[in-house]
Amino acid sequence: MKEINPLKITEMLKEELVKANIEINPEVLKVLKYYSSNESIKLLLKNAEIAANKNLPLCQDTGIVEFFVELGSEVVISENIESVLNRVVSEVYEQNYFRYSLVSDPLFERKNTFSNTPCVVNIEHVPGKELKIAFLIKGGGSENLTTLKMFEPSVSQEDIIEFVVEHISNHGAKACPPLQIGIGIGGTAEKALTLSKKALLRSFNERNENILYKDLEIQLLEELNKLKIGFQGLGIGPSVLSVNIEYFPTHIATLPVALSVNCYLCRKGVIKL
Amino acid sequence: MKYLCNGVEDVIKITENLEPMDMIIFNGELLLMRDAAQKRLLQISSSGEQLPIDLKNTIVFYAGPSRTPPEFVIGSIGPTTSARMDRYLEFLYSNGVVATVGKGPRSQNAVELTKKYKKIYFITLSGAAALLSNLVTDYRMLAFPELGPEAIAKILVIDFPLIVATSPIGKNLFE
Repeated sequence: MKEINPLKITEMLKEELVKANIEINPEVLKVLKYYSSNESIKLLLKNAEIAANKNLPLCQDTGIVEFFVELGSEVVISENIESVLNRVVSEVYEQNYFRYSLVSDPLFERKNTFSNTPCVVNIEHVPGKELKIAFLIKGGGSENLTTLKMFEPSVSQEDIIEFVVEHISNHGAKACPPLQIGIGIGGTAEKALTLSKKALLRSFNERNENILYKDLEIQLLEELNKLKIGFQGLGIGPSVLSVNIEYFPTHIATLPVALSVNCYLCRKGVIKL
Repeated sequence: MKYLCNGVEDVIKITENLEPMDMIIFNGELLLMRDAAQKRLLQISSSGEQLPIDLKNTIVFYAGPSRTPPEFVIGSIGPTTSARMDRYLEFLYSNGVVATVGKGPRSQNAVELTKKYKKIYFITLSGAAALLSNLVTDYRMLAFPELGPEAIAKILVIDFPLIVATSPIGKNLFE
């Protein structure tokens, strides 16, 4: 067995959470630099510079934090992992003046929790001695674009492409494009949704290992970039930064397809212990 | 076209000339308000009570800033999705709001209302909240502090970019 000290998790994760909110994602920086002759893009680069220099968040919406934990079967932690993660988030958000963006009861009272907790924690039990904690900083504007469709199992990939393209065409400009598109295919409804979020953890060039899904990612990227939504929804640059797919076996009668997006900042991180 | 406006009066003066993509460099006051605060205002108004703030001749900025670090005027600040606020737009216009500022396209109904009341919908830079915070010189809480980032506040800005998205005759940048 391998014992992991919760303090070690706290220390490493704090650094990553602050970084994700303040420092521009290097993959995004590359794209911004490519289009840097444009005046609006220059301002986004300037924003990244100011954020890093002044320790200010890149976006006022410092999001709800979604964790994806892979807990090795030989790992022992002396504290409940969910408690550790909630404590880390509340401390990071308090100490760094990030926005408290969560309300307690979602429908009736909607009272701010003033701690940015609870965070959303997905735990997967895997074999081995490693603890991997990945996270997304999920702004409300991009989260509101999440959608799910239960397709009939006999549909073609064109039907799925049409569903994705139509959704992004109708709503993409609302979520601070260019977007990273995460697609979850298969499983059950909630499995597909979780997969679509996990797909957002992938880097832009990390294509699906299965050639069929890889081709679908590339095809979707091409189709979505024909939409000419661009930065700020003003048609400058790409509409979509990357399309990433995760899939899972499903029931003979079902074909769930879930779609999630990251705003252009693509704020995320990962620690491994 | 590019205009310089000092105060809301300057914006009112040029309103009818504005076309989508025109830019205003704005100096003056913006009223911060978003979902929760507008919902409350509408409830107060519907129950016949007096609103805690005066909306007449204001520009409403759909924004909830991040918290203010010591030595700063304000934390990061930027527009939230305007389409969610469409349900309160007629309430704002009928109470004298001159323009709204946010991000992204709005519903057809919101475009029609903007035309009907001859108002303006502006967008401003989204995802550039550290940069925009540099343009804020004053920040004052006005109402509902218990809403945290959703409280109503007043900010004073200089050289703040406003881009026309819906003109007073209903021309729409996102079409």
